[in-house]
Amino acid sequence: MARGQAKKVFVGAIGADNPVFAQILGICSTLAVTNNFRNTVVMSLGVLFTTSLSGFTVSLLRKKIPGRVRMMAETLIIASYVIIVDIVLKAYLPDISRQLGPYVGLIITNCIIMGRAEAFALNNPPGISLIDGVASGIGYSYVLLVIAFFRELMGSGTIFGFQVMGDWWTNWAIMVMPPGAFFMLAIFIWVVKGVFLKEKEEAKA
Amino acid sequence: MQEVSFFKERVYPILFMVFLTVVFISAISGIYLQTASLVEENETIFLKRAVLFSAGIPVPESNNEINRVYSERVKEYMVNGKPGVFEVNGGESYAFRISGPGLWGEIEALIGFDEDLKTMTGIDFIKQNETPGLGARIEEEWFKAQFRGKTPPFSLVREDEEDIDPDEVNAITGATNTSNYIRDMINRSPGQAAELLEEVR
Amino acid sequence: MMDWGMAMAIFFGAIFTNNILLTNYLGMCSFLSVSREIKTSLGLGTAVTFVMAATSLLNYLVYYFILDPLGLTYLRFIVFIIVIAAFVQLVEMIIERVSEPLYAALGIFLPLITVNCAILGVSLFMVIREYTLLSSFFYGLGSGLGWWLAIMAMAGIRQKLAKAKVPRGLEGAGITLIITGMMALAFMGFTGMININ
Repeated sequence: MARGQAKKVFVGAIGADNPVFAQILGICSTLAVTNNFRNTVVMSLGVLFTTSLSGFTVSLLRKKIPGRVRMMAETLIIASYVIIVDIVLKAYLPDISRQLGPYVGLIITNCIIMGRAEAFALNNPPGISLIDGVASGIGYSYVLLVIAFFRELMGSGTIFGFQVMGDWWTNWAIMVMPPGAFFMLAIFIWVVKGVFLKEKEEAKA
Repeated sequence: MQEVSFFKERVYPILFMVFLTVVFISAISGIYLQTASLVEENETIFLKRAVLFSAGIPVPESNNEINRVYSERVKEYMVNGKPGVFEVNGGESYAFRISGPGLWGEIEALIGFDEDLKTMTGIDFIKQNETPGLGARIEEEWFKAQFRGKTPPFSLVREDEEDIDPDEVNAITGATNTSNYIRDMINRSPGQAAELLEEVR
Repeated sequence: MMDWGMAMAIFFGAIFTNNILLTNYLGMCSFLSVSREIKTSLGLGTAVTFVMAATSLLNYLVYYFILDPLGLTYLRFIVFIIVIAAFVQLVEMIIERVSEPLYAALGIFLPLITVNCAILGVSLFMVIREYTLLSSFFYGLGSGLGWWLAIMAMAGIRQKLAKAKVPRGLEGAGITLIITGMMALAFMGFTGMININ
């Protein structure tokens, strides 16, 4: 596998092709946990694990999967890795598992994972599919981590549970609630699109 | 080739799915069984921690310590098939498993009382489905600890109110409903506690 | 067992205060893309409601009568999603045979629904919150209606928005998210209207 290609895939997933805002995929479930930075970190690792390993597995089996059952097979593979994440969390991080609740299970329906499996892993060798999975996972994660950073900071005055904001700061309760998540994501998209649009225009000039 | 064999078209996909399913479910079950005891231990430790906390006993760090302190100091009584009344230090204090409605579902708490069943030694939550970041903040240390040494019934005041009377407790900003539900649940509890103690004696 | 009071409270809660999309963040993907047009939103919303009500019922039965007695609850993610996928597939086949116009109107949405996180979410929440059979059904039905309400409102708003000038960076997803945030804010006003007691 060419190093150049790997790098291209990697950069693509994080930048211009970043699944979350270029394609608005998969924000559903994880927005729920972004009111807490630490939980988002754990969730992101879970998604990373699932995306990379399912991409890898689907790619390994790609020549053997019959067309008829393609979606079912992909779903089975993705769901299995998610269950593994869920079990591991329950065993080793029970408090966080309790806080994440059903949202871990909802990683299965995360459009990104299925999307990458269909679009990439089915047609590419395992090595690079793994990299694609990792890259998609990272691209997805950092958007959520940024949102989580601001939501926890403004909503609770803390980062990772450590009080950062002093007494002068009144917590913006809205940041902790759903509207806050939607607004933050919108702002994030706005900022990033602004950056990319400017770059495109400058490139044309 | 024009004809796709019957095997390839019908049978192979089924065989494939069955095989795949068996492989993955075996892998999952393997991991599940490996960690099952650990998961169960986590559940038990969680309950024990809650009992100690609500009874006003300092909760140790390590699981071993928690188990030791618990077995030395706590006696369990069954209610409806599971531990519902906890006698601590031979009757110095008691913790009771009490449920009440919450905003999104039932809230299950452990409420601790002195032997007179009037003064609270603490409260901890075993199960709640309240709004993350708002109602769910009832699990925060400061909220739970404020009930220590106070006697219900309580009325609520704002979260940032510092100068409060003995019969007042701070609510949670933005979680008025959950706070109300908790207040009602706690105000009802001394009666329920007395009943439960009668039952198991 | 037949606790209608609780079921009704859960039903109305699922539509307004516990809205699966505006409060629980689920079902966003299709929501964001389909809400462009009122007609398609109507179609998708109806399909979602139907599937949610049916699958919450089915999954309840599967969970409490098959998985739980066998101690296999940890497999619920796989089982639930298979039930959902199979059900959707079945419905699609039936509609195709039975009614051409219905298939033309609804059928194309069904594959889109299988990956709708809200459907799986409803089943998972119902299990976590330990709802009864009756409540689970109404939770599914209510969540579907709540989702339908959200997507219809959004489609209506976006129709009006088509004439308005939106900052370039916010076009499409950005402005839709902001509107979603405002709708979520509005729906929060319903909290406490109904008491689950």
